[in-house]
Amino acid sequence: MTQPVLSVENLSVEYEVGAGRFQAVSDVSLVIPPGRVVGIVGETGCGKSTLAQAIPRLLPEPPAHILSGKIIFQGVDLVPVPRGKLPMVRGTGIGMIFQEPLNSLNPAFRVFDQIAESIQIRHWREMGVLPVFHPGPTPWDYSHRPLPETADVLSHSVIPPGAKEKVQRKALSRADYRREVLDYLRLVRINDPETILNLYPHELSGGMRQRIMIAMALSEKPALLIADEPTSALDVTIQAQVLTLMKELIDEVSASILYISHDLGVVAETADDLGVMYAGRLVEFGPVADIFERPRHPYTKSLLRSIPTRYKTDWPMPTIPGSVPNLSLLPRGCRFHPRCALARPICGQEPHPPLRVVEGATASGTPHQSACHFAEEVASQP
Amino acid sequence: MAALAPTPAQRGRRLVSSAWRSVVNLYKVMRANPLSFVGFVLVAITLILAFIVVADPSLIIPYGATQDTGVYREPPTILQWPPSIAHPFGTDQGGRDIYSAVLLALPLDLGIGVGIAGISVLLGGFLGLVAGFWDKPGTLGGATSTLIMRVTDVFLAFPSLILALAIVASIGRGVWSAVLAITITWWPYYVRLVRGEVLAVKHLPYVTAARAAGVKDTRILTRHVLRNVLDPIIVYFTLDIGTVLVTFSTISFVGAGIPYPGPIPEWGSMMSYYQGNFLLSQYWWYIAFPAIAIFMTALSYSLLGDGLRDVLDPRTRRALTQTVAHEPPSEVKEAAVAPVETPEEEEALEESEA
Repeated sequence: MTQPVLSVENLSVEYEVGAGRFQAVSDVSLVIPPGRVVGIVGETGCGKSTLAQAIPRLLPEPPAHILSGKIIFQGVDLVPVPRGKLPMVRGTGIGMIFQEPLNSLNPAFRVFDQIAESIQIRHWREMGVLPVFHPGPTPWDYSHRPLPETADVLSHSVIPPGAKEKVQRKALSRADYRREVLDYLRLVRINDPETILNLYPHELSGGMRQRIMIAMALSEKPALLIADEPTSALDVTIQAQVLTLMKELIDEVSASILYISHDLGVVAETADDLGVMYAGRLVEFGPVADIFERPRHPYTKSLLRSIPTRYKTDWPMPTIPGSVPNLSLLPRGCRFHPRCALARPICGQEPHPPLRVVEGATASGTPHQSACHFAEEVASQP
Repeated sequence: MAALAPTPAQRGRRLVSSAWRSVVNLYKVMRANPLSFVGFVLVAITLILAFIVVADPSLIIPYGATQDTGVYREPPTILQWPPSIAHPFGTDQGGRDIYSAVLLALPLDLGIGVGIAGISVLLGGFLGLVAGFWDKPGTLGGATSTLIMRVTDVFLAFPSLILALAIVASIGRGVWSAVLAITITWWPYYVRLVRGEVLAVKHLPYVTAARAAGVKDTRILTRHVLRNVLDPIIVYFTLDIGTVLVTFSTISFVGAGIPYPGPIPEWGSMMSYYQGNFLLSQYWWYIAFPAIAIFMTALSYSLLGDGLRDVLDPRTRRALTQTVAHEPPSEVKEAAVAPVETPEEEEALEESEA
């Protein structure tokens, strides 16, 4: 089996707010194989965005702390990496698309400067001017060593020692940057890119800004792209356009993608694997088709039942009773049991069950996992 | 590509045309706000006058550095002439031409205003950037930040004028000691201002986005954060030039600055000298003209600061330079007509607009 691009192991992230502290992400594990799109869905406040920002370690520390766990990106654990070395992982290693296209572009710079900066970072790293995150063992200098586990490798450049002299350290001219920026603007289907190039962010519409954000992230050719609700802040028609674009790009770009969303429909269309989060925990993980056809966690099942469709005739619309628990006042035992139709005494007594593989793993490779004591019964329940 | 490369003459023409375009844009922005346009013109006039005074005073100062009009040599022997054609600002009890003195003081006063405010904005701005950006408690940056802010607080705790007077009194009169004294009391305000701005900007989503793109902290600070805190700093700086002038004049006025009459006149010291020795009601022109000079200089820089705010904000700038609401901006049109632009021209454009 090939090495996964990213594997998160038992990650817990805590926020310290005033005197109180709460875990926004508890014990989350997930694996993203190369070239695969993994979706994460969940309600507002279930820790999706915290997870997304914790992976490239973008959370402000404090108030956030990574309590435990590993974030293994291309074979290197990012958790012990000192903050000063993190920039070399970001951008070309882990790229990100944020949910607020309105504020995520610097208001003082033109579109050209915004994208050119990303291209420059990638270019400098390719030339060895800027240090680069070391993507695990490579033929030239790590083949004789075991898999690196510490952060030391981060200090090395991907340029092999002998090849360094051959690298032309010629800076790209402005015309080169211009050509490349235009290419990326065309990639994200912007009409008349030559005009857009000279505009400031405030002169663009929300959909355009989100396209620029996507172009910025893609122009660094990241090994892993994290899309943190890229369509949530847009209105419905623009959402559809950007979503279509994302789907087309996912086919064109071979990056692995972590797609965060609160919209099950969006994830169903984009992702290969799907993780469902509830109150800071991953409660179900598996291939999208599997989860939609045979959900193995009561929460997922209730969620799927609550999707309104044109053809549904039952009224009132099914809902999940109660509301998402406050993360600082979590129920004892399984976090979902107060709202669960299947709840039994054991659910409130035992600690929250870990993810475990349920029977009937599918051919697509990713085992279907669920964090329910009675995962096998869920499917048979009405 | 070689065949398409522009000749030096073409490049020169393009540079000139882009420079001219940016001047026109600046004019358009300034024109939209008449008051700031007045400030812009006044500042230009003071700068030109100061340049002439430094280069060749005899062009505009009829009586030279000594301001000796020789009025006492010819009858009737009156020393204190009121303003007239020959002596626009009148003469004083020594027969000195006040018009010459006011103009002679212009380069010094401008230099003091821009110099003190400039040193303060550089020093205070740098410390404020560092203190605001690396303020995480428990780290080296946090300790530095705390140190900077506490030292700043100590300086802010003193009334600045009293502190400046005390410094001048202890190291002696003169231009340099007065400049030093005011600078020492001036920079802490910039630390506070810049730190506050940085704290507001550094948690905005676009800074996080830059961080996510792999930009290093120092570059985020110098490129993304600095550019966005620059507008209020520059506006405050231009407003401050006037305040520095008034403060410097105050120090001179109470007798701690530059002695008058002396080799170089200074507006504040002129006022101080005249008000101490002669009747204001009788010889009103002694004080009126240096006071008007201070007032006009302070006012023109304040008005310019107001206008600069509009120029620096891409939103207002673009809105004001566009004459027709739906017409694309001029450089965009050009890009559509001539897609092969030289890097030089774009750079010139960038510089002129930045």
